Amino acid sequence: MALQMIGFLVMFPLVVAALLLILRSDGIRSAIVWVSGIVVALASCAFVVMNIGAGEVLIEFSWEPLDHLCTAISCLIVVTILAFCVKYRNVWAALLAVVQLVAVIYFESAYGAEIDIPNGLYFDSLTLLMVFIIGVIGSGICIYAIGYMKDFQAHEPKGARDRRPTFFALMFLFLAAMFAIVFSNNMEWLFTGWEVTTVCSFLLIGYTKTPEAIRNAFRQIIMNLAGGIGFVVALYVSAISVGTLSFNEFISVGMTHPELTVIALIALAFAGITKAAQMPFQTWLLGAMVAPTPTSALLHSSTMVKAGVFLLIKLAPLFLVTPLASIMVMLVGAITFLLCSFMAISQTNAKRVLAYSTIANLGLITACAGVGTPEAVWAAGFLILFHAAAKSLLFLCVGTAEHHIGSRDIEAMDLLFDRMPRLARFMMLGIMCMFIAPFGMLIAKWAAIVSFVDMNQVALLIILAFGSAATFMFWAKWLGKLAGIAGQPEDVELTVHRSEWFAIMVMAVLVIVGCVLIPLISDFFIEPYVVSVYGFFGQDIATGNLWLASICVAVVVIVLFCGLGRSKARRVDVYLSGVSRDDSARSFQNALSGTTEATVRNWYMKEYFGEDRIAFVGVVFNSVLMAAVLACAIIGLPLGL
Amino acid sequence: MITIIITLIGSLLFALVAPVIGCLLAGIDRIISARMQGRVGPPLLQPYYDVRKLFGKENVSVNSVEHGYVVCAFIFACVAGGIFFTGGNLLFVIFVITLSSLFFIMAAYSTRSPYAEVGAARETVQVMSYEPMIILMAIGFFMAAGSFDTKAVFALDTPVISTIWLIFLGLLFVLTIKLRKSPFDLSMSHHAHQEIVRGMTTEMSGPTLGLVEIMHWCETVLFLGWVGLFFVWGQWFSVVIAIVVVLAVYFLEIWIDNNFARVKWQFMFKSAWAVALLAGGVNIAVLAFL
Repeated sequence: MALQMIGFLVMFPLVVAALLLILRSDGIRSAIVWVSGIVVALASCAFVVMNIGAGEVLIEFSWEPLDHLCTAISCLIVVTILAFCVKYRNVWAALLAVVQLVAVIYFESAYGAEIDIPNGLYFDSLTLLMVFIIGVIGSGICIYAIGYMKDFQAHEPKGARDRRPTFFALMFLFLAAMFAIVFSNNMEWLFTGWEVTTVCSFLLIGYTKTPEAIRNAFRQIIMNLAGGIGFVVALYVSAISVGTLSFNEFISVGMTHPELTVIALIALAFAGITKAAQMPFQTWLLGAMVAPTPTSALLHSSTMVKAGVFLLIKLAPLFLVTPLASIMVMLVGAITFLLCSFMAISQTNAKRVLAYSTIANLGLITACAGVGTPEAVWAAGFLILFHAAAKSLLFLCVGTAEHHIGSRDIEAMDLLFDRMPRLARFMMLGIMCMFIAPFGMLIAKWAAIVSFVDMNQVALLIILAFGSAATFMFWAKWLGKLAGIAGQPEDVELTVHRSEWFAIMVMAVLVIVGCVLIPLISDFFIEPYVVSVYGFFGQDIATGNLWLASICVAVVVIVLFCGLGRSKARRVDVYLSGVSRDDSARSFQNALSGTTEATVRNWYMKEYFGEDRIAFVGVVFNSVLMAAVLACAIIGLPLGL
Repeated sequence: MITIIITLIGSLLFALVAPVIGCLLAGIDRIISARMQGRVGPPLLQPYYDVRKLFGKENVSVNSVEHGYVVCAFIFACVAGGIFFTGGNLLFVIFVITLSSLFFIMAAYSTRSPYAEVGAARETVQVMSYEPMIILMAIGFFMAAGSFDTKAVFALDTPVISTIWLIFLGLLFVLTIKLRKSPFDLSMSHHAHQEIVRGMTTEMSGPTLGLVEIMHWCETVLFLGWVGLFFVWGQWFSVVIAIVVVLAVYFLEIWIDNNFARVKWQFMFKSAWAVALLAGGVNIAVLAFL
């Protein structure tokens, strides 16, 4: 039964993608996306419910044609990339693509046939969590895209080609690839899914075909091809020194004989770090902002970057026994968390703030994975879930706001609470979930602190303290911008498309339910995973405290959606020191007896947290660190260290 | 389940008792401040008379949400106090009190008064300035006491101050920011000579302002509780010592308040982070590696 379900989850989005390419009429497309989005979500939920609390379940499945098919897909991917490289004359991407092509073909001919993997598929509770995120949040974003892309196409210049069929096909292909990643125990299949997500995001980022989009798409493909080559290196090392391509076996061998897997581990960690857009590779995710908002939402919340951290979390038990790799992953993640939180303060563009916050949170997940203790993995699991729900909610809100107020600048979101009351509340909910207790993200951060204390990771603790303070700054000032109320609501949200509301509601409900049911999620998803990997788990945060947090969440949510705006107090205008000209416009008499309007801008503190100062530090530090770790591993290996 | 009931009862009790203590402390503050300035000063219960009068005023507001935010800020301040004084998790206390600050900041932003907006932006910077030290304090406490639960101090042989005195000094530094005492009273002040006096509360009046005052009393009690926590161990008389220290620290804060001119936010931000890095970082490193 499980095998059929997995087959359905991977194949169904593929079929939908193909259909979307063939049937190009607007009405049919929107119907297909609605229906198949809901089907994928329901199927994922059903799969999760049927297997809730599962330990590791290996599924006997191997089929040789599929191995060849995977190689063929890998080749096809490279050929696609090469075609674009020729068209846009990009040498570096072409070079990396060719290296990868040669490596993959040689690998398949040399080792593909001789290594037999009986258990091609598997799932455990982490997989279930990912399936839920991909199936529900991912397909929610696809549904959102129906309304968004309609607006988007309307904003395009007249006569622009309608490439929406490709767009939606790529979205569904993305989901299929993600399912393949989380279910594959055969590392070759895993690698194929990995590469499909890379090329999908390449095509989605370049969707608008503007010079900027093309440039950013190539930046993405160069960085991720480099990561892909890291993955191929890991395949070689695993095949040669461990003699297996089963991910499960690789991990269990690594736990007992870390010296065999150290190079493969570092290579895989490198692949995960590139995909999770950790410094020095953060620029590809920032560049991805040029794409339409559903793409950003998909890349940031449920797919692509989550594949990177998923891999890192799977490897967490190995980091626990391999100090060299652990140091690399921990520090890269922690530095990324700190510096990207700083840089988020200096951004005015809402999508860039979200991007930096995504990278920062992925940094925290990476650092947790690097620490590798059961408690750290527990924290990382929660971070993944809540980040996915809250971030997709925020992206969808920003996308809708952008189409209705004409800007994605935070300064332009003044009075949003008046102008788009419902949307502003959803946005506030998303923001609160990202940074403030008792919402999920902060509970996870709490667990991260505890696990760092247990491991005496002083540097990580200090970084976390300062990074959290910076996080407060950039979210709180955005929240303040939204909270302003002038009193004359001019509602502009009546024209928001039905599909957009639907998706936003789904995300909001997920955020709320997730935060309120946090103790149960711990019991049924995260703890079973931790126990299945480590065999034990002593929870650091008492369940009583978790329930306390969930009650607080309920209070905040009720206030936000029901309690605010009910006050019957007499209304007066704001105080302008007795020199006002027009109270409602906040204009007052200035020193020359003229009229000046009071305007306030948020603080961006560029002199402290400007990108030009900080990005350089992080890129240099992390690059040197990774190079040093790799060098140590290669030198240390023959010495038996 | 027990935790929740204890916390609930604790929060209710805190909401009843803390305002009384906080009110008396505020009265003492005003008398001592007056004496330092060569004045006689108001009666001890003047803060209470002020707040009682505020609650008698007409309910006037610039918008319909401000009061709601302030009520939330007050409730969560009480919950934080309840968790702390019933022996709960110190880190959770810090998170909940931060939530309370956030609601207060949103109340100020929501009014759209230019003065309140300046105050709210400055308050955000203040939170960012003191937050690292506060989180490091909780971590240091955990390393010294072996638990995040404040009730763990009663099982100790020596008070945590003996191992984390450096963190205690750091806490004293950021306490001035948290209590919004001069020189760090940037977001709102009770000194009439500052360039922006009321800042965040500019548009708050009547019962709303009264509630802000009560919340401030509660916060003062909670923060002084953090100070006292450093001096309590397994002996009953340690509580007396803690109270004496708390009063001395409160006097010190009043003295600082009356003797330093307001600084710019840049100084506050840099100095608070430097203190956190030195006091917090060094102390934690010592605990971890020695």
